[in-house]
Amino acid sequence: MIVQELVAIQDRCGYLPDEELRALARRISVPLHRIHEVASFYPLYRLNPGSSVTVRVCRDMACHLRGAARLKGVLQALANEIGPDQVCVEGVSCLGQCDSAPSAVSINDHVYWGVSEDELKKRMHAAAAKETLPHQHGNRDPLGWKIDPYDGKPRYEAVQKFMEKRDADGILKSIEVAGLRGMGGAGFPTFRKWSFVRGTPGDVKYVVCNADESEPGTFKDRELLRRTPHLVIEGMLLAGLVTGAKHGYLYIRHEYHDELEAFEDALEDARSRNVIGDNILGSGLTFKLDIFVSPGGYIQGEESALLEAMEDRRGEPRNKPPFPVTHGLYNKPTVINNVETLAWVPSIIIHGGEWYKNGGTNGATNGATNGATGMRFVSISGDVKKPGVYEVPLGQTVRDLIFNCAGGMHGGQKLKAIATSGPSGGFLPTFIPADKLPPKFAKEKLAQGAKGLDILDLPLDFNTVGAMGGMLGAAFVVYGDRAKMLEQALNCVEFYRNESCGKCVPCRVGSQKLVDIMDGMLQGQMKREALPIVSELGQTMTLASICGLGQVAANPMLTLMKYFPEEI
Amino acid sequence: MGDLVRLKIDGQEIAVPATKEAYDPLFKKHVTIPTTIYDAAVALAQKSGQPNPIPILCHREHINPVAVCRVCSVEVKMGGVPGRVLAPACYRPVENKMEVETAQTNERVKTTVRCVTQLLLSDHPSGEMPSHEGDNELDVIARRYDIHGSPYPRAKEKRAHDNSSVVIAVDHNACILCDRCIRACNEIRDNQVLGRMGKGYKAQIAFDLNNPMGDSTCVACGECAVSCPTGALLHRKEVEADPWQNVSPRPGPVRADELSGHPLFEGVSVPFLRWNEGSVVRRQFKKGDVICREGEFGSTAFLIEKGKVKVFLQSPRAHVQSRDGWKGLFGLIQKFTSGLVSRSRNGQKDEKQPRYIHIDAPVALELNNPIAMMSEGDIFGEMTCMNHYPRSATVVADEDCTVLEMLRNVLYILQRNKKSRAWLDQRYRDRSINNHLRGVPLFADVLEDEEEFQRFVNYLRLRVELRRLTPGEVLFRQDDPADNFYMVRVGFIKVSQRRPGGEQILRYIGPGGYFGEIGILSRLPELAGKVPAGVRTATCAALDHVDLVVVKPGVFVALNEHFPKLRQHFLSIAEEHLRRDQENKADVDGVALGDFLQQGLMNAQSLLVLDLEKCTRCDECTKACADSHDGVTRLIREGLRFDKWLVASSCRSCLDPYCMVGCPVGSIRRKDSREIHIEDWCIGCGKCAQNCPYGNINMHGFDETISDPLNPGRKIAVVQQKATVCDLCESLDGQPSCVYACPHDAAHRMAGKELMEQVGAHN
Repeated sequence: MIVQELVAIQDRCGYLPDEELRALARRISVPLHRIHEVASFYPLYRLNPGSSVTVRVCRDMACHLRGAARLKGVLQALANEIGPDQVCVEGVSCLGQCDSAPSAVSINDHVYWGVSEDELKKRMHAAAAKETLPHQHGNRDPLGWKIDPYDGKPRYEAVQKFMEKRDADGILKSIEVAGLRGMGGAGFPTFRKWSFVRGTPGDVKYVVCNADESEPGTFKDRELLRRTPHLVIEGMLLAGLVTGAKHGYLYIRHEYHDELEAFEDALEDARSRNVIGDNILGSGLTFKLDIFVSPGGYIQGEESALLEAMEDRRGEPRNKPPFPVTHGLYNKPTVINNVETLAWVPSIIIHGGEWYKNGGTNGATNGATNGATGMRFVSISGDVKKPGVYEVPLGQTVRDLIFNCAGGMHGGQKLKAIATSGPSGGFLPTFIPADKLPPKFAKEKLAQGAKGLDILDLPLDFNTVGAMGGMLGAAFVVYGDRAKMLEQALNCVEFYRNESCGKCVPCRVGSQKLVDIMDGMLQGQMKREALPIVSELGQTMTLASICGLGQVAANPMLTLMKYFPEEI
Repeated sequence: MGDLVRLKIDGQEIAVPATKEAYDPLFKKHVTIPTTIYDAAVALAQKSGQPNPIPILCHREHINPVAVCRVCSVEVKMGGVPGRVLAPACYRPVENKMEVETAQTNERVKTTVRCVTQLLLSDHPSGEMPSHEGDNELDVIARRYDIHGSPYPRAKEKRAHDNSSVVIAVDHNACILCDRCIRACNEIRDNQVLGRMGKGYKAQIAFDLNNPMGDSTCVACGECAVSCPTGALLHRKEVEADPWQNVSPRPGPVRADELSGHPLFEGVSVPFLRWNEGSVVRRQFKKGDVICREGEFGSTAFLIEKGKVKVFLQSPRAHVQSRDGWKGLFGLIQKFTSGLVSRSRNGQKDEKQPRYIHIDAPVALELNNPIAMMSEGDIFGEMTCMNHYPRSATVVADEDCTVLEMLRNVLYILQRNKKSRAWLDQRYRDRSINNHLRGVPLFADVLEDEEEFQRFVNYLRLRVELRRLTPGEVLFRQDDPADNFYMVRVGFIKVSQRRPGGEQILRYIGPGGYFGEIGILSRLPELAGKVPAGVRTATCAALDHVDLVVVKPGVFVALNEHFPKLRQHFLSIAEEHLRRDQENKADVDGVALGDFLQQGLMNAQSLLVLDLEKCTRCDECTKACADSHDGVTRLIREGLRFDKWLVASSCRSCLDPYCMVGCPVGSIRRKDSREIHIEDWCIGCGKCAQNCPYGNINMHGFDETISDPLNPGRKIAVVQQKATVCDLCESLDGQPSCVYACPHDAAHRMAGKELMEQVGAHN
């Protein structure tokens, strides 16, 4: 309630005046500090009136690589012209529009992407003149993806199929056969998560769809939410029917306003078809679905931090165990899945688990049920000709992804580095010498006599990338030869510093110290002698941070030291 | 306590119960929670007699773990396989066959614990802090792991200190966000004041809505300071010098055990009193000794334990203002003379002249005989102590007496403690209300018949409620439903109204003042249609620590029925207020407020403006001013320039007269017209001169002969400091003398708005 009450106050007053917060505290009978700790935590809230126009320019990864700093400078110059008191230009964490980099800008919370500089200037003028700003809309047309068995028509056949036999175990089996894994980055097998929740006793359980896609370079859920919201709804519903949860929430980042609208429309449609609500399709079963708009912050994508936000607290990750499958939302057993994971479920039920598994390539299909099977969506951005979202087989090589899907390198550059999981996995070079690969991987995967791994040959599946010491996420970012890797790594570490919730010491203090050290190196004030300290710090952050954010925050620097020592 | 769980810590086996009892602050009950690795390590240490190998910092055994500092990180192996990451021992439940490795046996763990400690040390101002052996738990851990300093860069920006609390000093630089103070405040004490604010590296602890600790709802229980492991929250005694060093003879502290026997202190926790021993001292005064003197600043309040004291105003009751103009039949040029004019010679008709002067004590002083007695159990000097105002009167021992003198931290906690508060409130009802109401001109003037007045006081005695506001607290807002009627005992209330262009301050209401009657009276037919029915016409907020007397609507209405004279008076006052507000509003409405507002000029009702194109710098204006004010000029021919206009330094008669805030005796006031008057009971403390943002109030010494209040009948010569301010003295043509005196038609008086129009017209 606090989260939404604060949004209502901000909509009414433009910010959160103390008096309103005091009145709210009285009205809902909570102490002042409870209100303030929430209000001061989330980036959506403004505690001061500030300037009347706020322009936020994305500063992360692809946008940074493609000139966000210059764009911000241009807009800042205009702001100075209009009046610095009136217009404030600031950096913002990834807006999920990396395919339009660096044109990812929000003006007074209206997010714009792919808009020309001139048009942005016009809109800044319009905002300063208190004119109504346009809302940008994306395309909702189906693109013939395999994930959508209905080709954009919300027919909800998978639910109908379930209702015929009500065979929850059968659905779990299909998902197990498919080898579907969590597509948010962690890759946890979906059937195990659902089985846990199904097997945990309790009358009240929840399904939460994590649509808080905020990792730099990741924007595939954005396309799924806008083009196939019915699949997400059906996936959540099936998760509820299988696990016994009667209530689902879509947790969506507030910057995805267009996707939010698409989802709301689809939800309205689903309700009118009696697919969501009481007595679903006359079955007597119930599944309610509500939307929770995130008050912002990358950390909310961490599943337990997301639950904290939904429970009106600071979005700080919980210590684990226990895990959400047993102690989730309001301490009840909870399925938390990524948008894409849930969206794959209907087609797997309709076409069968084998169908999904066989969608993989490059040997990923030869029977390894715990392995790299099936298909996925990947967001590719950076120095490529056609950045965007692609539905690809798992096991696809880096070469195939960059040169076939994304149209090759941009601006005549040569490939210098790739990031296979946004900033969290760090960088991989074009060639990894055998001695820098884990011995087991080198022995099994390298051809006889090969001196190392040509990164273009790397098959992108969870097991292979994991075995070589990398991470496979949904964000694939490509760096051309003009990129200065220390500076790019600093940008990534700054992102983690900016988005750290501040709960645990290794991440809160460590990420800032890492930024200070790297900045010192970039400025030439710190020397390579500091590197052992960085290794120690990186290891501590990885081992002792509460959640994934702190655990990976040093990766950009650690991989830089490992693969690009000449750049430091 | 459940089954036994067997695990190994650094190779040593230990069996512990699987669960333990703990207090759940959310549901306020005891619950069963899993035993943690740290609990097991404690049990093992007790058994073996060896020191516990696991350090803790954010955790203590009496609080629920949050596992944020990570110095208790350990390696957990199951079946010989280490976890992907380390586990916090304070949080991770024990499991059978768990093998735990601590920093003693595991290099990975040791490196991590050292690194986390170094990270915290890198920003901690260890060296610069008052040190007490064992005080700083972070340093203890550093010593344990032989860490000297940190290899990590120090924070570039210093964080704030918060010294607003009189009990605890906050140094955010030393805070490691371990959450112990927060759990102490909210879970152990259930005071619900402390929280975390912000995010990431910028996160810090905050009180309420990030208010200064002293202005928050903190009750100063001290639990947070006890909990703080790093000295970020320190008891002030450890940071401040001896407050009694200048008192001679040096008074002895009153022991906590003795104090706690006094009804005023019995609700305060003994540990607090013990901790603050030295904040309350007992002082003996002989007959005639001065206990405190008017105009002095101080930081203490007094409680009379035994004996009687005399309280009075020492300053001569004569005031500083120009003599009334003698408007001769033949228009002769008048010679202005001035000086301290006695009340009897003041021809100005002033209906609002109070009969009593409000002071910082439970008694009010009669204007014509400003002397009163106080005795055992009376508390005085609260306003000086809490709000830093100068002493409002002189107090002298009338017989040998004993007085407890206390520092702000003690008074502060007394005012927040329920029992002490009740005792103080009871004292007010029993003893002070009579005097307080007598000092409110509204009642004293109307109910002149003593018998009627007593009936009135008795009627209110038990029916009023007492309320306390913290600085900045909004009592009600414009357009809120009107309910109560209020009278101010201590502190100042700011009254403001929303106007085009922003919030405008209408007036400040200090001790003896009252407000809130308009909203209630609007139900009466006499005022119907003139004010919005039953709603507040202005916003009222506390400027500092304010004590209010609240009269509920039912009581207020009944009061008006019982005392028809009051009703009549209320009506006329309400109409008067409305008329004045309307006038002010007309001044400001429709004007574009820009830089002018920032300069404070828009607020001005009467600027002395010199046309520099005509002005020959002859200084006649200054001379005229001095001539008409006893040789002391109240204007300086220098100031801000707008185009050809110079705004001279002279009272602007601001719409928001900040100078009036804090006058300990209420002698600076505005009457019906716009000029600011400093009344003759000014004690010369200089608060108003300090307050005026434009430097337009000056302090001057006047030679005077006064009758000695201590020896009736005798006269003594004194140099009396008085504040002087432009009083818009009237000369022949109705203009102030400075304007009248200008031979070049260069001096003008205009309102801020007029000046702006002039500047605009010229451009």
